[in-house]
Amino acid sequence: MNKKIKKIFCSLLISFLILIFIYNQNLFRKFYNVLDINYEDRISKASGFCSDESIGYLNYIKKKFNFNFNPMVINYEDSVPDSNWSIYDANLKNDSKHKILLNYPEELSLKFYSHKNNFYTKDTVKYAEGISEIYFDLKVPSLYFNSNLMIYRKDFGTNKKEIIYNKPFKELVKNKQKITLPKNIIKINNIYKPIFLEIKNLEKDKINNIKVVLKNQFDLNKFKILDSYGNCYYIR
Amino acid sequence: MIELFFIITQILFIIVIFSLPIFLIDEKYYLKQLKFNFIDKISINLIFFINVLFFASILNIKLDYIFFVYLFTIIILLLFNLKNVIFTKIKVDYLFLTLILFIFFISIDIADQLNFAWDVKSIWIFKTLNFYQGQKIENLSQFNSTDYPHLGPFLWSFFWKFPHSAFEYLGRIVFVFIYLLSIISFSNCLKTELFEKLIFSILLISLTYDYAIFSGLQDVLVFSAILFFARVSYLLFDKKNKSEKFGLILILLGIINMLCWFKNEGVFYSLFLLFSLLITYKFSKTDKLYLILGSASIFLLRIFLFNYYSIDLNPDYFEMEKTVSLDINLILYKIKIITYYMVVYLTQNPVYIITFSLLAYLLYKYSIIDVTSFVLYFLIFNLIFIYLTYMFKMTEVELLIKASMSRVIFQTSGLYFLIIVIYLNNYVKLPKK
Repeated sequence: MNKKIKKIFCSLLISFLILIFIYNQNLFRKFYNVLDINYEDRISKASGFCSDESIGYLNYIKKKFNFNFNPMVINYEDSVPDSNWSIYDANLKNDSKHKILLNYPEELSLKFYSHKNNFYTKDTVKYAEGISEIYFDLKVPSLYFNSNLMIYRKDFGTNKKEIIYNKPFKELVKNKQKITLPKNIIKINNIYKPIFLEIKNLEKDKINNIKVVLKNQFDLNKFKILDSYGNCYYIR
Repeated sequence: MIELFFIITQILFIIVIFSLPIFLIDEKYYLKQLKFNFIDKISINLIFFINVLFFASILNIKLDYIFFVYLFTIIILLLFNLKNVIFTKIKVDYLFLTLILFIFFISIDIADQLNFAWDVKSIWIFKTLNFYQGQKIENLSQFNSTDYPHLGPFLWSFFWKFPHSAFEYLGRIVFVFIYLLSIISFSNCLKTELFEKLIFSILLISLTYDYAIFSGLQDVLVFSAILFFARVSYLLFDKKNKSEKFGLILILLGIINMLCWFKNEGVFYSLFLLFSLLITYKFSKTDKLYLILGSASIFLLRIFLFNYYSIDLNPDYFEMEKTVSLDINLILYKIKIITYYMVVYLTQNPVYIITFSLLAYLLYKYSIIDVTSFVLYFLIFNLIFIYLTYMFKMTEVELLIKASMSRVIFQTSGLYFLIIVIYLNNYVKLPKK
């Protein structure tokens, strides 16, 4: 090939490859975003203002209160890890009296559905400190239980049970009736291991699902709310 | 608009840091016989600078002092050598221009996406904040995963702090620079004209780039270090470079040290690269001794520092005792799971599809040459390593594989680009430069 033609061909090919890269990465749009949207808004968009990691709310709180300590950051959203990196200062002391609660739920609960010989939940939970109530969604008006109620965790790929709760359960239960359990502080928190519920000798086909309501480790009523936005709170 | 200014000046700052010394240092320091081009010289400066940063980090020298010492050195060099620099003689380097262009593109992507990967939010960003906020290396014991090395975060914090000390993502632009430089430097292995090298580089970038690798994870640093190692190894295997081995060995040692301090698995990759090179390349006894003693010193320093700071490897992860207890069913189950996911993730990564197909073709069609053996040995070590890594984990193997195997596979993928280079340089008639 003529050298000049080859040079033109190669230059065109290189330009084409660069354009494909720009197009594939949507760089014009991203360039516009960087020019048009400020950093705080972009990070809130990427990590949520008061959702997911709630970095937007954390930055807002940091600016508003100008902390001279590191408050404790508690994020109830379990699909993300700790969010406190955005306000953490290695030169300041940690102060767990000041807490920032992110994505605070109205109710902490686990819903168990029938699975083989027991019940299984896809839900995960953080910051619970015991079971308060149980509700049975029944297909019949009432059901009599006379067995042990067992809640346990399992590692993926193993059959080893880690028992969380195992106590006798002898009661006539009506559909969606509130059943208060005796005071307990069991550690049901887990976001990595599947949780199962088992009641022996049970007519499983008569139950739609079982809802276990949990006690929140951080009860808002026990703290002073210094700031709030949606489900995000700064408390002391 | 201010952010665009910050991004552009950050890129210029990085470029100046690594390329300015080239004009101010005498040619002879860059192994004259090897005829390194501008990109290679920047790579050598980068390897040198990262190693200096490493020693500064373990000696607890503050980022500000490092920066001012660097500035002072540059000013001294400027005073002594400025007369010798003829700026009109400096030619336009298209590989360098491509480097700058793609740094800008990827920086825009990072500035827009911003989000961190899971491990970054819980581990790496805290290590980075530690140095950025002027804390010492000892303070790292406060955070999660103390056994994770600190060199990547130290580098991130340095370029976050300088020149602007503004947005966190500006510090990550140096990772982009390292990644792109390693690819473009590697393209110099091709014995072709400039245009082919440019096309090769852009194709490799398009093949490997994904925002996720710049989400603060350190895997891209391992990937780049291995690619630099591949470039220097190729120079060794190149018959033309018989007389400059000591210089190349020093560069290899610099890369091994970087690898050991980017991630824990870097220690194993260093060993695999070292073994593969020692087996396949005929070093003289003295060169072999330099390489072995140099590497041994690096590994011993790592062990010494881990002991000095009382850092233990995470016991939850390394469950060797239980693994060697020989539960055959469990071992078979794990082998099955690992094999299944390895096939899935290897076929998801286009680098492996291309390079492994080409490797099979080369093995079938041609006799094995020394550099092909080097890649083959590394491949075998690497596969054994992946199996053993996940075998040592007793529980939740599948969960761990899903969370990490694609990254482990990405880390070493750069070395297999050598297969493409071997094929193009030896078996395809391309116009030679």
